[in-house]
Amino acid sequence: MATDGPLSGRPLNRRAFLGGGTAFLGGAVLLDACGSSPGPSPGTSPTKRPPLSKESGSLSILEWGGYEAAGTKAQTNGLEAGKTYTARFGTSGITYTYITNDDQALEKATAAGPFDIMHPCHENLPDYVSRGLVQPWDTSLIPSFDQLNPYLVRQGQLNGKQYMIPWDWGYGSLTYRTDKIAAADATGWELAWNKKYAGKISLWGGASTDFEIAALKLGFPHMDNLTTGQLQAAKASLLAQKPLNKFYWESEYSQMQPAFKSGTIWVAYSWQDTLVAMRSAGLPVAFMNPSQGRLSWLCGFMLGARTQNYYHAHDYVESYVNHDACAQMTNLYYYGTSNATVKPSEIKNQALVTALKLGDPSAIAASDVHLQAWSPNRAALELAWQEVVAA
Amino acid sequence: MCPARRTLSARRTLRARRALRASRARRTRDDHRTRSWPRPDQRALVLPPLLFVLVLLVLPVVFIALYSVGLRTNIPGTPTAFSLSGWQDFLFGGGSAFRGRFVYSIEIALIVSVATTLAAYPLAYFLAFVARRRRYALLLVLLAPFFTSYLLRVIAWQIILNNNGVVNSLLWALHLRPHGSAVSWLIYSNFSVALVLFYTWIPFVALPIFVVLENMDHRLPEAAADLGASRAATFWRVTLPLSLPGVIAGFVFVLIPTTGEFITPLLVGGPNNQLFGNSIQAFFGDTPDWNYGSVLAITLIVVVVVLTLAFGRFLQTDLRADARPQS
Repeated sequence: MATDGPLSGRPLNRRAFLGGGTAFLGGAVLLDACGSSPGPSPGTSPTKRPPLSKESGSLSILEWGGYEAAGTKAQTNGLEAGKTYTARFGTSGITYTYITNDDQALEKATAAGPFDIMHPCHENLPDYVSRGLVQPWDTSLIPSFDQLNPYLVRQGQLNGKQYMIPWDWGYGSLTYRTDKIAAADATGWELAWNKKYAGKISLWGGASTDFEIAALKLGFPHMDNLTTGQLQAAKASLLAQKPLNKFYWESEYSQMQPAFKSGTIWVAYSWQDTLVAMRSAGLPVAFMNPSQGRLSWLCGFMLGARTQNYYHAHDYVESYVNHDACAQMTNLYYYGTSNATVKPSEIKNQALVTALKLGDPSAIAASDVHLQAWSPNRAALELAWQEVVAA
Repeated sequence: MCPARRTLSARRTLRARRALRASRARRTRDDHRTRSWPRPDQRALVLPPLLFVLVLLVLPVVFIALYSVGLRTNIPGTPTAFSLSGWQDFLFGGGSAFRGRFVYSIEIALIVSVATTLAAYPLAYFLAFVARRRRYALLLVLLAPFFTSYLLRVIAWQIILNNNGVVNSLLWALHLRPHGSAVSWLIYSNFSVALVLFYTWIPFVALPIFVVLENMDHRLPEAAADLGASRAATFWRVTLPLSLPGVIAGFVFVLIPTTGEFITPLLVGGPNNQLFGNSIQAFFGDTPDWNYGSVLAITLIVVVVVLTLAFGRFLQTDLRADARPQS
C-alpha cells in the first residue's frame, strides 16, 4: 500500500488522511455546537412585514389527509373549504405535508418545517408555543373570526394570544360492525381487549390516544396526567391488547377504512366520519358510546413563526372558517365546526346532529366525554408506547 | 471416454490452470504498479468523492452519535449534556423490548437472505448456463418489476394478500374455502413480511451470482467432466466454489438492507411483525425522542459495519471477464 505521495504538494499518508478527516469532523461538530441552538424564533416583525402583493404565496401546510383545499389535486373527498382562497390565488403555490397522528404532527412541525400553516389539535398547543414554532394570528385579518364559537376560540388561546384558530371538533371512539359484535360486548372500551374478536380489532398508531384509551379502561381519573405507576399499568394493558390487533392503523382513508370495508377488521378506533363513510358503504356499523365516555378533540390552524406569507396564511384560514366552508365540512365528515352561524338545521342528517350534539361545541367538554389534553409526561409516554410497539 | 482423450483433456486443463495462474501473477504485478499514488495533478480527483463520503456519510453518523449520548437534542430550548442513559437502558435496562425486536429483525433478515439466495441461485444458473442466447432478455424480464416504485410493489402485495384480495378470492372461487372465510395469516403476519422481502430482493441476489457464473471459465466444468466427475460432483466441487463470491455478495446485498427495513413491515406486517427499522423510524418520525432513536440507529450501523467487514474479506475475487486465462 502506498503511504506517501503529495496531495497539493504535501505528503498524504493514512495518518495524515485520518488526521485531516478527524479535524474536518471535529471542526464541523464544533461549529455546530457554537452555532445558534434551534430555540424560539420570533415571527417577522409587523413593521417589516411585506404586503400581500409582495408575498410569494407559496404556502407550506402541515395537514391531515382529506383536508386539502378545494381545487387542489390532492382534494379528492369533495371538501369545499379553501375554495375562496384557491379561486383567488390558484392552487399551484400550495404544498401539503401530511400527518397521521398528533405526536407525529408536533415532531414534523419541529423537524421538518418551517411551515406557514399547521393544523394540529389543541392539546399540544403549549408545545408548539414553547418550541417557538408558531406566532399569534391577527384575528382582524380573518373576517369570519367574529362568527366563531367563543368557547372554542378560548381553547386556542395561550397567554392571552390567539395561537390557534379553531375549526373542527369531534369525538373518538370504537366503530364496530353491529352484525359481527354482540351488543353485550360493545358497552365500553374493553371491547378492544375482548379476545373473542382477536385479529379483527385495529387501534390507532397514536401514542397518546392509545394511552388515554387504556387509562379510561383502567378507570384512571386523569387520562392525560398519569403517574408513573399508572403509566406502567396502562402500558401493561396495551401490551395485553396488542396481540388482538390486526394492525395499528396509520392512515384513516388508505388503510383503516378499506380494511373495515373489506371485513379484515370489525372494530376500529376512529372518529365519527368513519361511521358515516361505512354506513355509506352499506355496512351495519355503530359508533360506540363507551360506559367510560368517548374521547373528544378540537383542532385548528396555527400560524408558522417564520412564515413569509403572513397575509396569504390569514386568507387561507378565512377560506376554511367561513360559514359555507364550515357547513359543507360538517355535512361531509359530520365533524363539528367552529363557526357558530352554522345552524343544526343546515346539517342533513338530523339523527347524527342529535346523537353527536353537533350544534353545541361545548359538548366536547361535557362530563360524559374526555377532551384530549396536554400531557406533562409526554416523553415517558412516548417511550412506553414505542416499547409496546416493539415488544 | 477413451484414456487417450481423457489424458488430452487433463493436459488441456493443466495448461488452462497454468495460464490462469500466470494471468493472476501478471495482474498482481500490474496492481502493485498501479496502486502507487497517481501523479500530483490527478490526486485532486480524490477530493470530490472524499468530501462526498465525509459530508454525506461520516458526518451524519457523527451527529447521530452525538444525539445518542445526549450532546444534541431535536427539541428547541432543551439543555444538552453528555449522558449514557439511552445506551444503558437499551443495553441493560428496560429497553428489552427493543433488544427483542433487534433479535427478531436479525432472524427475519437471515431467513429472508438464506431463502432468497437459495432461490436466486437456480435462477442465475439457468440464465448463465441454460438460457444462453436469451439470457439478457430474460434478465431484463427478471428486473422488469423494478422499473416501478418499491412502494407500489409492496402495496400491490397488499391487494394480493388482503382478506378480500386475489389469493382469497381465488380460493373462494375454487371452493377451496367457504366464501368470506379468508386465510388470516396471509397478511399482517411474519409470512407476509418475509414473502414481500423475498420477492423484493430476489433479482438483487440473482444478479451478482449470474455475473460470477457468466464470467466463470467454462472450461473448468468441462475439464472436471472430462476427468470423470459426475454433473453433481462438477457442480459441488467446481461451479459452486467458484461462484461463492457472487453468492456471498448476493447474501450480503439482502442481509444488510433488510436489517434496517421498515416499509414492508409497516404496510404488510401486523403489530407483532414490525422490525427494528420501524422502531428507529418511529423515534425519528413520530416521537420527540431522537436521542433514544439514535441509540438504536447507531446499534444498527455498528452491526452493518461488522457484517460488511466480516463478509468483505470473502469478496476479493476479481469478477472481471478479462481475469480469465488467455488461451
